[in-house]
Amino acid sequence: MMRITLVNLSVLLGAYLVCSSSALAQGGRGILAADPKNANRPYDKHDISGIWSRNGSPGGYGGGGTCRDCGDRGFSNDVPALTPLGQKMFDANKPSYGRNLGSADAAKHPEEAVGRRRAVPPASGSDPYQTCNPMGPSRALIYPDPLEMNVLSDKILQQFEWGNGVRTIWTDGRELPKDPDIPRWWGYSIGKWDGDTFVVTTTGADERTWVDHYGYPHSADMLLEERYRRTSYDVVELTMTITDPKIYTAPWKSETKKFRKLSKEGIKTVDGWAGLMEDICAPADDVDFFNKRIRDPAGGVVH
Amino acid sequence: MQQNIKRSFAVLAVGAIATMLPVYGHHGTGVSYDASHPITMKGVVTEFHYANPHPQLYFDVTDDKGNVVHWGGEFYPNPAQLIQGGWGKRRSEAALPVGMHITITVSPSRAGTPVGAILKLLNDQGEVVMGVAGGVPGQPPPPEPPAGEQKQPEQK
Repeated sequence: MMRITLVNLSVLLGAYLVCSSSALAQGGRGILAADPKNANRPYDKHDISGIWSRNGSPGGYGGGGTCRDCGDRGFSNDVPALTPLGQKMFDANKPSYGRNLGSADAAKHPEEAVGRRRAVPPASGSDPYQTCNPMGPSRALIYPDPLEMNVLSDKILQQFEWGNGVRTIWTDGRELPKDPDIPRWWGYSIGKWDGDTFVVTTTGADERTWVDHYGYPHSADMLLEERYRRTSYDVVELTMTITDPKIYTAPWKSETKKFRKLSKEGIKTVDGWAGLMEDICAPADDVDFFNKRIRDPAGGVVH
Repeated sequence: MQQNIKRSFAVLAVGAIATMLPVYGHHGTGVSYDASHPITMKGVVTEFHYANPHPQLYFDVTDDKGNVVHWGGEFYPNPAQLIQGGWGKRRSEAALPVGMHITITVSPSRAGTPVGAILKLLNDQGEVVMGVAGGVPGQPPPPEPPAGEQKQPEQK
């Protein structure tokens, strides 16, 4: 461990202050801490519209991990036992997140689920996200970048900044399809209010998507329940439950994930264009350029 | 091969910069780099690509014998994060023209290939470029802490 000295602390504090002031100068909202002026600000518990972010960067919308107290990027560390099919699918998935496979670091953390201790270089991995495929609902929701909830009369459109993904949650009273003919990357989703909780249920999600970035699998028969609660002006909380007996021997409940509110003006390009970034995963940039010239050589695969 | 790279170029260990950088990698490439053995090189920019998922800098490094190795480096911040720090596309491209002499510190590839994750980047005036070093853009970086355990920046 790095020894904590006064020099270290002063450098760390200095760097933090520099970064914070830089972000504020750019109009960032400072998502690392709740805005005190909103502590007693009234809000509608049934209004989950707007831009919400789990991002931990100073402005709250670009790069990096999750914001403080917002929950990590895994679905949950408490994973139910896998069925034989689930184990087979889990073993086939080769993620690049978490502790490195076979490392001393991984060995030192047996308390963590094995999915969090098996990262391999993406050049030899199998993460569908690496080639710009949609992340699917649970993984996209856990992802730290902003999400805009567009509430319409008969549906809610969730627009995910990363990948520019759009998911439709129907609120027009329809039922979920019993046995959908074709799976969808985002599945089939309906939503309704249960008291102060907005409940979304999804089925028919394409099994090529992962539950989270640790490569946990699901089947197209998975029933995903999301429960959203707005707990303050600034915060929406989400818990999810996966019921998928083909893959897991018991329902799998997520840890609580938090989103913090961002104003439209809180996200701006350098010339002031407000709103979600166009953060597209374009194969022309990500696959043909980055993967071939950086990602793969870094993993020992030279094209 | 990793050892060869180290022998071929001026290698300087830097301290635990990554532990305090407000920048993070994504696309899972962090696992490909050895953050515990950063190396510092002097090079010349050959190409700069400001795009998702991470901007990339390509540069040539010449060793004492005149051998040139073409390196590629990825910035841990992505464009959305760089924009938060005021480093838009035009400003970044203007700061890194082809031919610019740079001093660059990277976490090198574990595979020993000439690819790395950029930890610190100085231009020919010794100024931090694109805020990579935790300093104010365009200003010298803060003093380095003592060498210590490196921590891999969190993956996006």
